[in-house]
Amino acid sequence: MKLIGVDIGGTFTDLILADTQQQQTWIHKVPTSVEDPAIAMLSGIQTLCQMANISSDSIDHLLHGTTVATNALLTHEGARVGMITTQGYRDIVHIGRHQRPMHYSIMQDIPWQAQPLVQRRDRLTVTERLDAKGQVLTELNETEARAAITTLKQAGVDAIAVCFLNSYINDAHEARVAELVKELYPEAFVTTSASIFPQFREFERFTTACINAFVGPKVKSYIDRLHAQIQPLGIQSDLHIMRSNGGVATAAVAAQEPVTLLLSGLAAGVLGGAATGKQSDRDQLITFDMGGTSTDIGIVTAEGFVEATARDTWIAGYPVMVPMIDVHTIGAGGGSIAYVDVGGAFRVGPKSAGATPGPACYGKGGVQATVSDANVVLNRLDPDHFLGGEMTIYPDRAFTAVQSLADHLNLNLYEAAAGIITIVNNNMANAIRSRTIQKGQDPRQFALVALGGAGPLHAVEVARLLGIPEVIVPRYPGITSAMGLLTTDLKHDLIQNEFLLSSQSNPQKLTQDLQALESQVLQQLTADGFTPDQITLERWADCRYLGQGYELRVPIPAGELDPAKLDQLWRQFHDRHTVEYGHAFPEKIIELVTLRVTGKGEMPKLTALPTPPPGTLEQAWIKTTETYFLVNGQLDQYATQFFERDRLPLGAQIEAPAVFFQKDSTILLPPHTRAIIQPSGNLLIQLMPLPIEEKRQAMEAVL
Amino acid sequence: MTTYLAPTKSLPAIDPITAQVIAGALNSIALEMGHKLARMSYSSIIRESEDFGAAILDAECQQLAECAYSTPLQLGPIPGYMRGVLKAMAEDGEEFYPGDVILHNHPYYGASHGPDIGIGIPIFQNDQLIGFSFTTAHHLDIGSSSPGSCGIVDAVDAYAEGLQFKAVKLYEKGERNRQVWRMLRQNIRSADIVVGDIEAQVAACRVGERRFLELVEQYGLDTVLAASEELMNYSERMMRQAIAQLPDGTYSAQGYLDGFLDDPDPTKKDLTIAVTVTISGSDMTIDLTGTSPQIDDRPINMPLVGTVDIAIFVTLRSILLDTALMEYVPQNSGLIRPIAIVAPKGCLANPIYPAPVIARCCPGNIVADTLMKALAQVTPHHISGGIGNIKVASYSGVVDEDYWVYMDITEGSYGGRHGKDGMDGVDTLYANTRNNPIEDIEAHLPLRVTRYELLEDKSGAGQWRGGLGSVRDIQFLSNGQMSLEGEGNKYAPWGIFGGKDGTPGGVTFFSTQQAATDLPSKFPYRKMRSGETLRTISPCGGGYGDPLLRSPQQVLEDVLDGYVSVEKARVDYAVVIDLERRAIDEAATVQVDPETARAFRASQPEEQQKIQELVNLWLKRAMNLTRLQTIMDQMSDEAEANGLTPEILQAILDE
Repeated sequence: MKLIGVDIGGTFTDLILADTQQQQTWIHKVPTSVEDPAIAMLSGIQTLCQMANISSDSIDHLLHGTTVATNALLTHEGARVGMITTQGYRDIVHIGRHQRPMHYSIMQDIPWQAQPLVQRRDRLTVTERLDAKGQVLTELNETEARAAITTLKQAGVDAIAVCFLNSYINDAHEARVAELVKELYPEAFVTTSASIFPQFREFERFTTACINAFVGPKVKSYIDRLHAQIQPLGIQSDLHIMRSNGGVATAAVAAQEPVTLLLSGLAAGVLGGAATGKQSDRDQLITFDMGGTSTDIGIVTAEGFVEATARDTWIAGYPVMVPMIDVHTIGAGGGSIAYVDVGGAFRVGPKSAGATPGPACYGKGGVQATVSDANVVLNRLDPDHFLGGEMTIYPDRAFTAVQSLADHLNLNLYEAAAGIITIVNNNMANAIRSRTIQKGQDPRQFALVALGGAGPLHAVEVARLLGIPEVIVPRYPGITSAMGLLTTDLKHDLIQNEFLLSSQSNPQKLTQDLQALESQVLQQLTADGFTPDQITLERWADCRYLGQGYELRVPIPAGELDPAKLDQLWRQFHDRHTVEYGHAFPEKIIELVTLRVTGKGEMPKLTALPTPPPGTLEQAWIKTTETYFLVNGQLDQYATQFFERDRLPLGAQIEAPAVFFQKDSTILLPPHTRAIIQPSGNLLIQLMPLPIEEKRQAMEAVL
Repeated sequence: MTTYLAPTKSLPAIDPITAQVIAGALNSIALEMGHKLARMSYSSIIRESEDFGAAILDAECQQLAECAYSTPLQLGPIPGYMRGVLKAMAEDGEEFYPGDVILHNHPYYGASHGPDIGIGIPIFQNDQLIGFSFTTAHHLDIGSSSPGSCGIVDAVDAYAEGLQFKAVKLYEKGERNRQVWRMLRQNIRSADIVVGDIEAQVAACRVGERRFLELVEQYGLDTVLAASEELMNYSERMMRQAIAQLPDGTYSAQGYLDGFLDDPDPTKKDLTIAVTVTISGSDMTIDLTGTSPQIDDRPINMPLVGTVDIAIFVTLRSILLDTALMEYVPQNSGLIRPIAIVAPKGCLANPIYPAPVIARCCPGNIVADTLMKALAQVTPHHISGGIGNIKVASYSGVVDEDYWVYMDITEGSYGGRHGKDGMDGVDTLYANTRNNPIEDIEAHLPLRVTRYELLEDKSGAGQWRGGLGSVRDIQFLSNGQMSLEGEGNKYAPWGIFGGKDGTPGGVTFFSTQQAATDLPSKFPYRKMRSGETLRTISPCGGGYGDPLLRSPQQVLEDVLDGYVSVEKARVDYAVVIDLERRAIDEAATVQVDPETARAFRASQPEEQQKIQELVNLWLKRAMNLTRLQTIMDQMSDEAEANGLTPEILQAILDE
């Protein structure tokens, strides 16, 4: 099989071509063609094919990660959306949860009020009402629905979201109105709240549907265009697109549910990190992807990547209630600006110098000290080899910028630079704590996978702060998302709210509901072209103690359910609760809120990356020079070896301190660590204990 | 008079890097406490409305960090709770031991009001008491005279409000005090939920205790305290800088409470909140002298510590250190050092025990609102017009010999702001809870929300108009009862700088036959039958600036969105909208005598144009002499702020 993965980000388009029979891989990186991302994608694919010496019609699969939906939402450049909702509830998406996003602010903007996805003039109501059991209290008034659709059509909306109360339990009215839209205004992009994710909580569900409508037309036309443009390549099967849930979807499904693409690229990154860990035989992983302005953190355990709870996912200030990989993003990156604020505090980020002007050392007009500048001052970035020498850096500008900050803080130049690194590393370590320790996971039992241009430069010091014993750096840290695209399956998630109590459990009904969901998923997967042997099903229950507001997910035993199996389910929930919160309440009634069935259609995957070349360490050696490290609170100069990553031979073991340069990243090996080049090409870094005791004794002797 | 003094102790010098690192760690601790509390708790008031707080305090009860996710009215009072605990323990000769867990809710000992139960754990390092881990949360019931913990508006004294806990130990030396827990269960309605929520608070405090100890072990107590002191100094500096930028002087405002509008006793209604702000350098004194006397037997008195002080601190912080406009300033005890509060004993804002206080929430919001009004004089670009106050209702019934209780907090709205319209349908000022999803309510309770949307055409007109309130109807599907506390049925949110007042709110009862009866903003226990409905209408915010200065295009947009009617657009904004064309009707016809008309028609086109311009200018002057003066004044103020003297301005204008 020949697979191509293309991840299009804001700045770069990363491509990977894998030949699974030959176990060969080619990678390529081109600047993103912002106006029409397909241009760079196509030329990139052609280049890759030339590199591999194959013709494009021999490619079996093309998988794609995209930020088109994300950008449309972030820049608020989407479609004009009309909404049809239940009479008496016109402003659910405007009032929201009536909470102000900021506690202490008079002048704040509330995103859904200041930048509504649907203007109030385009929110029309029709008579209809269901109760919480899905019974019809008031019949749908079709005459009103038709009139509303006509009004919206005349107003010129591009998309229509149909959002009715309690539709999560009965979607008949929503579905009927969607039919009417197709009849009266077939050109419009139509979406219903229940078809996206039939979960209770109307503000969140309606908003999700409105986002779907808001980004829908743009994403659909992007996918259609892409489709047309790749047609001549003659690729064997359909285009697949990465979704936020860590699975891919066919282009047709992706175009209908674009709200599920918002974390497309980020999800692929976590998957790439997971694949890297697997190559090194590690399955408890923290993926740490640090770029220019932000750092993305994901958690992977033996059961796979961790998924966000539906209530915790906010994008661009709006709630988004669809299954997503739990990726936590913080404003810390190479371009994060270090400064002293008006109150005198030393801060790093979240303000960023971005790509322009960029860090001072880029010489593009930036004057404020950034994290990258601090790395230059500490001599961790070599001007001759930074990013393969393709990017010029000006160390003197970094020195000037950091010196001016140092003067302000009454520190010397190197203390200030080390301070910038310490603060940004601690910010990132805190973010990792919030995803692990706070959720009952001990980071010391994980390996950190360092990704992105800046991740490998900071990962080991961040790992040290958290007591993480190992860091893994993949062969190509800068293109992990593209790699992640080639490691996943096609995935459908179906859910149903159940509100079943452990005190009144009814195994028959549960079995029936599960089977109904499962046959629906099977149907979809069959339509996607999968044969039964390629399909796997998973079933899950989101439960909580009756009265709680947040659910925890536990697996449902396979097969026909009986009281014993249900008991097993309830026991698992108590255990899960203990892990998550440190407590369980075994005497309390449990409510099974949501059933979920995930169906996976197996996709061919990336098998292995090329083995590193034989050779000697000397051939990779660039020079040995003085670099600054903070060890045990002591800032010192260390003789540090600089190497070219591409020439590091298989099996080599390198003692710290050292720095490795490669085209898409820089890897830092601070003192008291060592690195091993593994057959996969991964660099496995082990952290040894710091000689705290010796140091303390020495200090006491001096005192 | 309450004055907050900075502590004096000698701690090691701290470098700015370690200070920042420890700040981040403290912040994570408080966040984790809040996160666990919200997720483990049962009642919707905690888990959905997020009416809870979590913080770490040092041994002197200074707040080191807060959980940014939770409501200010719960977070702010925590140091006061702990001081109250210490006072009560000293009075009774009690001592702390490792393993203690304290239960406290006494409003005359620092608690905000009875239903906001505080749970605290003393943190010991070896044998040394080094701080406290503390959470507060609003509980559904605390054994008041009628079900639920809001709308107990007929409580005649502190005892009628429910159980009072003054530093009672739930655990002592790690031992569970079983008899206290039994007593809780026996005296509280819906005890499973309430006691479960108390357990969640204890668990969250334990997380805080553990994490704080880990931090202290890692860095050493002195370093952590020195970093905390630096953080507090930082917050204090930020607040002082903001105050110092305001002109010295004394600024006053008055606000009004409905009180008990249906009570024949005139001293129980139409009450005054008086606020006088004195700014002197970087210090600020808030004096509430002139506020109406306390009501001895009705619970809208406000504890000075726990409610009034929080209303003041939160408002000052929101205006002077607005998070949207500047760095996030850590919430800690340093922020309040520059501020002194004066409130005469025996007034609504500093009641004398045992005057009841349980329904102090909405009056407290008027303290906040009135303070904002006083500050409008010195910081006009950072305040809003008057806010629409909120309401809190309790719905309950009996099933299987036990109560179900549900609390619904109805949002208000903000007034217009400089450059922005008011926020619509939000919780206001010192309260920032969340509503309950309708679908959650209907799936779990015998209630149906039969209407929930914005109020049209009711907000205060202004260059930037007030925010819209909402209307919310809740119907009983089985027999039960309810009670309600609110404000704002009589006094409309104030307009400012020429903006018009908003509109008052209302409460309406609908019988099963849909017959409507208006109710006051507060009513105690009231039987409700299946099919009966209560409607709450929030007040709509006041306008900011002269409505005639609002851009006609914005008025048109408002009309298209149904925020403002065509009629109001014409009357309040002098903008005529042609709905058919969805456009502004710009033309106006002025009658002149036939001779003039003929002469005009006979003149050359260029001449006609000149005449039109002249007439236009003259009409403007004639109609808007006073308004023009306002514009000129505003312009000169702005220009002066930019370094333009009146003389230069005059010269430019003459030109």
